[in-house]
Amino acid sequence: MLFRSASFYLFVFLLVGLAWPEQVLAQNVAQYILSGTIRGSRGEALPGASVAVPALNTGAAADSVGHFVLRLPAGRHRIVVAFVGYEQMTREVNLSKNQRLSLDLVESGNELGEVVVEGSVTLEEKLKTTQMGVEHISIREAKLLPALFGEVDILKTLQLKPGVQSGGEGTSGLFVRGGSSDQNLVLVDNTVVYNPNHLFGLFSVFNSDAVQSVDLYKSGFPAQFGGRLSSVVDVKLREGDRQHYVATGGVGLISSRLTYEGPINRGGGARPAKGSFIVSGRRTYFDVFTRALNKANEKKVNYSPIPDYYFYDFNAKANYTLGEKDQLFLTGYLGRDVFGFSSTGGFNFDFSWGNTVGALRWNHVFSPRLFVNTTVSVSDYKYNLTNRLDQFSFGLGSRITDYTGRTDFEYTPNDRHLLKAGAMLIQHRFGVGRLDANSSDGRINFGSDIAYFGQEGALYASDNYRATDKLQLEGGLRLTGFRSGSNQYGGLEPRAAARYALNDRTSFKLNYALMYQYVHLVTNSGATLPTDIWYPSRESVKPQRSQQASTGASFLLGKGKYLLTNEVYYKWGQNQIDFKDGAQLFVNPELDSEFIFGKSWSYGNEVYLEKKTGKTTGWIGYTLAWSWRNFQPQRGTNGVNNGADFRPNYDRRHNLTVVVIHQLNARLSFTGSFVFSSGNLTTLPLGRFGVQDIPGSSTSIDPRPVPIYPNRNTYQLIPYHRLDLGAVYKIGSRRNQDLTLSIYNAYNRRNAYFVFFDTVRDPVTDRTTGFRAQQVSLFPVIPSLTYNFRF
Amino acid sequence: MLDFTGKLAKYAVLAGGIGGLGGCGALQNDIDVPLPFYASELVVECYLEPGKVPSLAVTTSVPYLGVVLPQVPTDVTVTLTLPNGTAVPLTFAPNFRALVDTTGEKFHSHIGRTPLVARPGDVFKLDVRDTQGRRVTGTTTMLVPVAIDSVEHKFNDKTGAERKAYFLTNFRDPSTPNDYYRLQLHRGNPARGALRRRPEVDYTAQDRLNNGRAFTLGTSYRFSANDTITATLYRIDESFYRFQQSVRDARNANGNPFGQPSAIFSNVQGGIGIFTVLSGTSATKVIPR
Repeated sequence: MLFRSASFYLFVFLLVGLAWPEQVLAQNVAQYILSGTIRGSRGEALPGASVAVPALNTGAAADSVGHFVLRLPAGRHRIVVAFVGYEQMTREVNLSKNQRLSLDLVESGNELGEVVVEGSVTLEEKLKTTQMGVEHISIREAKLLPALFGEVDILKTLQLKPGVQSGGEGTSGLFVRGGSSDQNLVLVDNTVVYNPNHLFGLFSVFNSDAVQSVDLYKSGFPAQFGGRLSSVVDVKLREGDRQHYVATGGVGLISSRLTYEGPINRGGGARPAKGSFIVSGRRTYFDVFTRALNKANEKKVNYSPIPDYYFYDFNAKANYTLGEKDQLFLTGYLGRDVFGFSSTGGFNFDFSWGNTVGALRWNHVFSPRLFVNTTVSVSDYKYNLTNRLDQFSFGLGSRITDYTGRTDFEYTPNDRHLLKAGAMLIQHRFGVGRLDANSSDGRINFGSDIAYFGQEGALYASDNYRATDKLQLEGGLRLTGFRSGSNQYGGLEPRAAARYALNDRTSFKLNYALMYQYVHLVTNSGATLPTDIWYPSRESVKPQRSQQASTGASFLLGKGKYLLTNEVYYKWGQNQIDFKDGAQLFVNPELDSEFIFGKSWSYGNEVYLEKKTGKTTGWIGYTLAWSWRNFQPQRGTNGVNNGADFRPNYDRRHNLTVVVIHQLNARLSFTGSFVFSSGNLTTLPLGRFGVQDIPGSSTSIDPRPVPIYPNRNTYQLIPYHRLDLGAVYKIGSRRNQDLTLSIYNAYNRRNAYFVFFDTVRDPVTDRTTGFRAQQVSLFPVIPSLTYNFRF
Repeated sequence: MLDFTGKLAKYAVLAGGIGGLGGCGALQNDIDVPLPFYASELVVECYLEPGKVPSLAVTTSVPYLGVVLPQVPTDVTVTLTLPNGTAVPLTFAPNFRALVDTTGEKFHSHIGRTPLVARPGDVFKLDVRDTQGRRVTGTTTMLVPVAIDSVEHKFNDKTGAERKAYFLTNFRDPSTPNDYYRLQLHRGNPARGALRRRPEVDYTAQDRLNNGRAFTLGTSYRFSANDTITATLYRIDESFYRFQQSVRDARNANGNPFGQPSAIFSNVQGGIGIFTVLSGTSATKVIPR
């Protein structure tokens, strides 16, 4: 009933907002629309760039395609256009009718990324927006921070923000405000990426040369987003240089990158290009080293060759202006991890996995007040595992494929309302399990291919309404539905946010969101693995549901140089999923029966102090948080921990991050980041017993005791802390090259990756003499040097 | 698949090692882990075999960092109930030498007097009690064995010491669903105790995807000419299969950061363990030159 009431009031809010009398706003002076596009000097759109009219104390921010709309009274105005990393532009306009501008900002500093790093969203804009719980990372920022193996990783940069936890040492998995890693909606140019990781999460699939920016929504989810419970990771790819053909790249410790971009159909003289393109590739060379190592040792007795492993990814994007009102954007991504092994015994093992993404977006401007983005896209994730021996072969695989169509309208009826509405339809194909076993003579030939289809749809509408200069409200509704076979689910997802500005330097915010998740990741591991399976909501697998309420306050300090934000959140979820002990997850037509269901709740406080201007920039974030889950006895099991409340392994009470970027001069900058968090929880066995097994199975005393795990996540690893240091030195007369030094884990902290109980043996008799606890660390101090260029 | 996650873990650690350039000290070290109190349970392991004197091992589970050898309680009485209802006490007569034996002799704490007569369909019951009031019970039924249709081999194209053969075991699954198997291949002369030693191959299989059809279980190229290979095919019940899987999962979770700890699925009540009748067939082949 409460839910219905909330929905009702939101509807009323929207209707009232839409019907707000125009004359109240228009007053007696003629009003006109000033709209346009803000681009960089290379022709790329600049989402988040600001257009301000200081005399009227009003302004707007460019949307995801660099488009802005302002409603201004007739007359002469001075507008200021700004975007960090670019020279500020001032322009005089004389409005006597609706007018459209094309604004091109010039990059400040050198071409390879300015040393001064500032986020693309200014602190003042963050103070003023109704949006809470959002973190914006520009690729410029990410590229300056020290990185593991020198591999710039935008998802790991997000882990430095409050409320965001990593899955473990070195991994790019995100655990946001108590949610699990499969509850994040990862989008690249509005298209879902199902597995955003390479190498078991050590690297993300996003090549830094191809990425423009990423926004992470932890709460207050805008109505256009849905389908996952915990967060939205919205990655935007670069569009390519509209002026020049440019090659950029880098040579690092484990991989190399190469990017080429340029204009399409560049006109002569001052005529702008019709479009631009960018293609970017990256490949690791682990396999080059391991093959050389294998070759050097191939004659050694008992040498066990190291399997081949590498990953690559390829990004492409193009845009083309069809006319004054129409523009097309084409995005493609292909990434693969490849793992191969051949034994001298004739056994071959091949394992590959990866994503393929394609999207075509049509941007149409109906009028300066109204435009629409219509996107058709495909997203595919699959893994294939093949064993071969002589005439026999065995294959295992899984796949999920989405075909998506969506349309998103933005309408600005006046300078107090921003309306958004849209629709989305996804056709899912869940290839839950494919297995085949064959022999070339045909004697063995059996297999299984379990697949389900699902249709997911959504309608949404929202209004961002500036009621007064102090009060801003945002309300939205998202109606979602899902069907798989004869099973149908649906729900209404209200979203609401409010901001009250006490003065120019202080604002208070609150928001609420309800989310449904209709697709579920089937995993029985503590980490996200490539073999995890996506599974639809079906008869006994109900959609996951979560609600979150949060509130906070933001303060501009130090003459606007610092923004201090404090947010408090409470999140609670139903139908959270887990799996029975010993669940058969592979090629199981009865997979429904392996799920168990429970509830979750988490709460916490996040403090965030950031500085975005000046020679020294950075942030300090501290999170105090709790996460809980409960799975009662059910479906023939004792639930989890016999139905008692328990903490997930990523429940870390304290998290502190400190990030500092200092520009010494035009050529040299230093960076450092420090993280401290409470240790991960893990499950250790309390007891053990011996199993002899059947006669003829082994020696009488089995050398491997059987651990007994009475309860989950009862042991806490040591606190995690790490200092990373970095330096970027620009070289070349145009400063278009650089050497980037990263020192990961600078003071060589032995953080715990995992703990296990080892068997101690007598070196002579090989008999077991005792047991001991062992802590394994993954990364010691790792220096790396990367050379980057732009020609 | 869990074995694969173990490989992944090793690769991840290898990646760390490469990054560390080998000069920064050990990445694995001893730590002190204070474990909370653990109350031990009776552990029963009983594999009845037709024609053999019934025996079983009763031990207790122990705190993980406690004593090394299994604890053998001396105050336990065991009763085996035969299909005809006769209750047969099994005497406490532990062969402790087997605890440190490496020839393959199995430890038993209790043993009967006469060989067991068991036919498919026969139901046996087990009752284990100690003086502390702990009691473990179980029931099991002997399954119809499945015959091995044939065994075969094939050599690779190599010569000399690299010339090896793989080995295939063929049988047909009955039309009933939910059948489970365990296949062991032993190398060596059975008359010289080869079947007591560690097998070359130890597989478990189920008919979930192959019900009622021909099964072929094979090996890699690993056998040489003149090797004597004995294939033993056990038809096992679902509870034994689940027990084996849970033991495997629990072991794999210790030392594998990607593993999920598993509870042990016993088919006895009141403790931990397995009570089953082995229903097997075998075939022996000498690999010719």
